[in-house]
Amino acid sequence: MTRKTIPITPAHAVRLEPAGTGQRIQLTASPPLALYIHYPWCVRKCPYCDFNSHTLRGDATPDTGLEARYIDALVADIESALPQVWGRRVHTVFIGGGTPSLMSAPALDRLLTAVRTLLPLDPMAEITLEANPGTFEAARFRDYRAAGVNRLSIGIQSFDDAALTRIGRIHDADQARRAVDIALTNFERVNLDIMYALPEQNMAAAMRDIDIAIATGVSHVSAYHLTLEPNTAFAHSPPPLPDSDLSADMQEAIEDRLAAAGFEHYETSAFARPGQQCRHNLNYWQFGDYLGIGAGAHGKLSSHEGIVREMRHKHPTRYLEAAARRDFVQERREVAAAELPFEFLMNALRLTDGVPTALFSARTGLPLSVIADRIDQAVAAGLLAADPLTLRPTEQGQRFLNDLLALFLPEAEAA
Amino acid sequence: MQHIRNFSIIAHIDHGKSTLADRLIQACGALSDREMEEQVLDSMDLERERGITIKAQTAALHYKARDGQVYNLNLIDTPGHVDFSYEVSRSLSACEGALLVVDASQGVEAQTVANCYTAIEQNVEVIPVLNKIDLPAADPESARAEIEDVIGVDASEAVLCSAKTGIGIDEVLELVVAKVPPPKGDPDAPLKALIIDSWFDNYVGVVILIRVVDGVLKPKDRILLMSTGAQYPCDEVGVFTPRSVAREQLSAGEVGFVIAGIKELQAAKVGDTVTLANRPAGEPLPGFREIKPQVFAGLYPVESSEYDQLRESLEKLKLNDASLQFEPEVSQALGFGFRCGFLGMLHMDIVQERLERQFDMDLITTAPTVVYEVLMNSGETLRIENPAKLPDLSKVAEIREPIITATIFLPQDYVGPVITLCNQKRGMQVDMRYLGRQVQLVYDMPMNEVVMDFFDRLKSVSRGYASLDYEFKEYRLADLVKLDLMVGGEKVDALSVIVHRASAQYRGRELAAKLRGLIPRQMFDVPVQAAIGSHIIARETIKALRKNVLAKCYGGDISRKRKLLEKQKEGKKRMKQVGNVEIPQEAFLAVLRTDESK
Repeated sequence: MTRKTIPITPAHAVRLEPAGTGQRIQLTASPPLALYIHYPWCVRKCPYCDFNSHTLRGDATPDTGLEARYIDALVADIESALPQVWGRRVHTVFIGGGTPSLMSAPALDRLLTAVRTLLPLDPMAEITLEANPGTFEAARFRDYRAAGVNRLSIGIQSFDDAALTRIGRIHDADQARRAVDIALTNFERVNLDIMYALPEQNMAAAMRDIDIAIATGVSHVSAYHLTLEPNTAFAHSPPPLPDSDLSADMQEAIEDRLAAAGFEHYETSAFARPGQQCRHNLNYWQFGDYLGIGAGAHGKLSSHEGIVREMRHKHPTRYLEAAARRDFVQERREVAAAELPFEFLMNALRLTDGVPTALFSARTGLPLSVIADRIDQAVAAGLLAADPLTLRPTEQGQRFLNDLLALFLPEAEAA
Repeated sequence: MQHIRNFSIIAHIDHGKSTLADRLIQACGALSDREMEEQVLDSMDLERERGITIKAQTAALHYKARDGQVYNLNLIDTPGHVDFSYEVSRSLSACEGALLVVDASQGVEAQTVANCYTAIEQNVEVIPVLNKIDLPAADPESARAEIEDVIGVDASEAVLCSAKTGIGIDEVLELVVAKVPPPKGDPDAPLKALIIDSWFDNYVGVVILIRVVDGVLKPKDRILLMSTGAQYPCDEVGVFTPRSVAREQLSAGEVGFVIAGIKELQAAKVGDTVTLANRPAGEPLPGFREIKPQVFAGLYPVESSEYDQLRESLEKLKLNDASLQFEPEVSQALGFGFRCGFLGMLHMDIVQERLERQFDMDLITTAPTVVYEVLMNSGETLRIENPAKLPDLSKVAEIREPIITATIFLPQDYVGPVITLCNQKRGMQVDMRYLGRQVQLVYDMPMNEVVMDFFDRLKSVSRGYASLDYEFKEYRLADLVKLDLMVGGEKVDALSVIVHRASAQYRGRELAAKLRGLIPRQMFDVPVQAAIGSHIIARETIKALRKNVLAKCYGGDISRKRKLLEKQKEGKKRMKQVGNVEIPQEAFLAVLRTDESK
């Protein structure tokens, strides 16, 4: 089923209920609000990456004016979005990409100053910047810190030269270690992205990567199973990957190792020392709101009229052109009431501890009764914990989250 | 009558029968160029794709010969596949002559030979034609020698032609006039007409194609079909040019159609004799046979809600396919569906494909099976068309299986592997002859082994060069057992097969292993077992999947991740839930393919 993109008009706004459910959503309070800022350029596109990232060519370096134009556009983007989030406090900021650590420190400073000026940013807000090894210069990272960034998320992926080459990264193991050193010198909160089940990787190699990550002393690790996403170079010509049993073994071993080191496995792929969870990501998984600015950024915003998803113009060039017209949004659609339970659970059930049951109604505006039958099914299948106070996957449900979620997919409309 | 020539064309698939028919029609000016659709005689899409003719059609042509006289040439098309050998024999018995078309670059093939023998048995004059002589690989001399060696027909005067370029077409027509004898028959005798073919037309009902042997048929006559005794008023008679043209009468020696308000195709059986109710013929024409389906399979809708739609589709197909049989069937594993009977494997493929393409059905087809005769201790004989229905062996005195005689033509190089294959398939050699470039092998073989995967494997061991023709021979006592398969501890009735006891152990192990590979891993271990009665002979375990979870999901991924999950769910929908295991469609056909076929 392809969904049409419908522009928000008053006529649509009153017709929230999709055919079939007859439900009208009723939100009693606004969820917490986060801000996501997308920086769409990378030194080079990785063969497994399906994010909105584009190779930064020579003509797009900071001194050509492109960077300044992009920051201008981001600021204008926030300004144009202000009516939608008026008066709502922003709890976290996440600058992702692409490789946002390609930004110059003054540019980042200007951006964050604009954010603070335009939006009511929580003084204790978590402000995360994504960074890739190979872009690390000590001075610049010190300046990032000074600009207000207080958490760094580094795309290490592996500490093994051969593995890094196979997945097309621009950095090597030395650069990876140096990046972590620089990060830890300037930031208390650092996340390392590690991937396992890499091409030709064996168990020992996967464990070496995770051990090194732990030994650095960082407070957060994201351990991802390498996935061949559609429309990537890897999906087009797949490299030789470990089979599903080996990669499952790797996952279990990684979980054990991280647990032994004091990390809490709080989401499918996320591990944190106590109190060090990524608050920005938690907000996604708790079905909070987020404003997404920058090329291709996605946002989800709730109001008394319903829940809306929007996406900014995707290609950086189109985005910059559109910015000149103050027309940032490429797609905007209301989430139908029938789709909300699935979307909510797709996020919430990623969390090991799930969410309080009451959050379902608070975030979706729907009574729990709309999914009562399916909850019973999921509990009977041993995938959902039989706990009236929380919506939480069982251990089996965590491993087979797709099967658990499939129970909540809206039935396809009869042709 | 002296100016009538009734003839058909015998040719192997791809040897150019349809193209030659087109050329002949064109040369006689029956259709203008504008009307001349390529290969007019093969009107159905599927036939065109597969290059085979299923329904016999006909064209009445006027040809002005070199002797200055105008002849009525009736070209009677014949089906070109082994499943339809009875239809071929009826078409041929309506003719006095047959063009034996042989591809000059490839030589004689099994079906051509079989059909040619049928023609010779019916005293039909066989006229060899070497086609495709325009091809660089054409070797008319070898092909000529082969026709003489293999079929024993004098090929010294064989016409060289190319239906593609038009070379030699006039010579072919002249030869038809010169060599095909004019029909003999008595126009004054009581009507005797052979039903060559019949089909259903939405506007006029059943159209019957007949060859009048004796007598005359006019509209308003009351016809009598001799096998059933049914009577109908004749509404219209006429000929195909190939367009239909009404005539005042059809008389002895002529070929044409009859429309008599018949609603059901089964009423007008191919091979039956048409006579007049008020002046019936003494006895029918020889050779009539009730045709019975040889191969059965269960057809089930993937979506159980489409059961009614499947029934309607089968009913529509049956309108034009008297040999298709179906009756409702219930499978524990697959739900409600139909047990369908087919003339052979090709017929089954065609029906399945029409259901899927023309009627847009999603189907699960069980492995095809032959009809077994089961003699019960009580003395009763049962015909078993579904392995799941085989009675408990303690009540069975004996099981008999159908045996066919298979004739295989192949180049000498492949004799070794083909003989090995025939032996594997429990074949008994009857004859082996070296004929020029080719070898003719004749085997008696259980039909059960042929429907399994024989044809595919024959093609593969001979690199596509072997050709096969077969006919039913007899029912023969055999030591057969029912092999059941259990998935997750539950017997899956649609997977049961009847196999020879000697190969049961091996097949059981092989099938269990194959199912293990085809059934996707589930959240739990799933045992796959093969059993004869209560005796487990093989066991495999589908090991539990370890996880099924998306590694990443953040704010921007929602709709993409959701689509991924929807796709996963959609994939599962196409599987059948047996107990708590999802079994994909391919698994039900796995029983068809043996390991050696890979």
